[in-house]
Amino acid sequence: MRIGIVCPYSMDVPGGVQFHIRDLAETLISMGHEVSVLAPADDDQPLPPYVVAAGRAVPVPYNGSVARLNFGPLSAARVRRWLHQGDFDVLHVHEPLAPSLSLLAVMSARGPVVATFHTAITRSRALAAVQGVLQVVLERITGRIAVSELARRVQVEHLDGGAVEIPNGVAVAQFAGAQPLAGWPGECGPGHGGTVGFLGRFTEPRKGFDVLAKALTELMPRRPGLRLLLAGPGDLADLDLPDVIAERTTFLGKVSEQDKARMLRSVDLYVAPNTGGESFGMILTEAMAAGAPVVATDLDAFRRVLDGGRAGALFPNGDSAALAGTIRELLDDAPRRKALVEHATRVVSGYDWPVVAERVLEVYNSAIEACGETVRGAEPPTDW
Amino acid sequence: MPGMGWVIGVVAFVVVGASYVTWVAGRVDRLHARAASAGRALDSQLVRRAAAAAVLAEAAPGDPESADLYAAARAALDARDDDREAAENDLTRLLRKQALDPDTPDGAAVVAAGRRVALARQMHTDLVRGALAVRGRPLVRLLRLNRKHPRPAYFDIDDPTE
Repeated sequence: MRIGIVCPYSMDVPGGVQFHIRDLAETLISMGHEVSVLAPADDDQPLPPYVVAAGRAVPVPYNGSVARLNFGPLSAARVRRWLHQGDFDVLHVHEPLAPSLSLLAVMSARGPVVATFHTAITRSRALAAVQGVLQVVLERITGRIAVSELARRVQVEHLDGGAVEIPNGVAVAQFAGAQPLAGWPGECGPGHGGTVGFLGRFTEPRKGFDVLAKALTELMPRRPGLRLLLAGPGDLADLDLPDVIAERTTFLGKVSEQDKARMLRSVDLYVAPNTGGESFGMILTEAMAAGAPVVATDLDAFRRVLDGGRAGALFPNGDSAALAGTIRELLDDAPRRKALVEHATRVVSGYDWPVVAERVLEVYNSAIEACGETVRGAEPPTDW
Repeated sequence: MPGMGWVIGVVAFVVVGASYVTWVAGRVDRLHARAASAGRALDSQLVRRAAAAAVLAEAAPGDPESADLYAAARAALDARDDDREAAENDLTRLLRKQALDPDTPDGAAVVAAGRRVALARQMHTDLVRGALAVRGRPLVRLLRLNRKHPRPAYFDIDDPTE
């Protein structure tokens, strides 16, 4: 199948949508499909062979943060040319409602268009205000994919349409095969030792690091050898950790994708104490793929990924005493950790990229069949 | 010449108005064509699912549940427009009672066909909704831009994947 994918954000800036598109494109290519990804990039920028540059991205404030986007007549012309030359069976755009390459592509294509919605936009009044304009965009989309239950609910409630939920994939083999960091996780037995991991923006309250810090303040004095392996963007000095934690913490800073896998392979327990705002829980599937037993807040999204608590332990949101108890029990109980990991390995195989890509292909095929044609550019491309 | 401004204004208004009407008329045609095409795709997925169910039923001859399933699959294949939704729901209900084993080829075919029916129906529903929305617009009703097209209808069945 010839597949055209549009990425609204620069591929050289790390981000969830970009990683998703890269992994999906590479998986589809390894399955024998022809994939071209159109993304904002300079012409002289080194890019993977399947990426086509659509010109430099312009920083635009959007939805509370700065997004680097392409928009305007020059970008529109490039989109049309790419569509014309690509001769795609299906067009797959991501986040098509933001003013971006994705939106331009939807507006200049006819035929089977599949759209993936990543973020759960909840500002319904803003959506209602532009409903008429959105309608013109949405009615050109044949198949909608939401990456989480929350994103799907937004589709149903605010955008007046259905969407099939296909979760974010995870490259299971890459995580399962990573080498643990030298000297980690170390010793772990009843009453002593053990390594607890946390990865993410520890200064952001919603990530719940202070819930973990409180639990560790309670546990560490009573459990010799218990260590914390911490990674994420930010400065440790902003945290004001109690001495008892600080001296048993190893801080890795912001880690690369490879080091993230190694870090997750280096812990006896991965803790996700998030207090809210998670629509999917990518880090959980990554920890599960790496074979780390998971302890997480009982958020709906986490509960779903952890198969109701069978693929990882859940604790009440914000309850650091309960978290401390769960950590202690699990570190003391190697067979229980092993059982959690075994179940988690089965669960996470459903999130493996080849499995997820197969489901995306099913949507492509349905969209092609529903349209009864392949992708056409709306108008002949202008020559530049 | 005070009249000139008026002439230019009226001509511009007519040109803009006509382009807008042409655009809306194109949109009406396109949405109806897409809804009809999605309807044909849904039809073919339903036929495939019924066929897969019949194959599954034939694999266990003599079993009363399989006989029911076979009858429901036949009924779904033979149903006319007005009783088709009920026939498809009957088939879905019987398939739910079967312990479908996705590791056998026949079971996997039914599970996959059910998923494709769900996808095809969702796409059909979205496109029908779009067509109905554009039919309801005052300009479309006033100029009867939809007169060439029969009113598209939803295909209202239970989701076979739930």
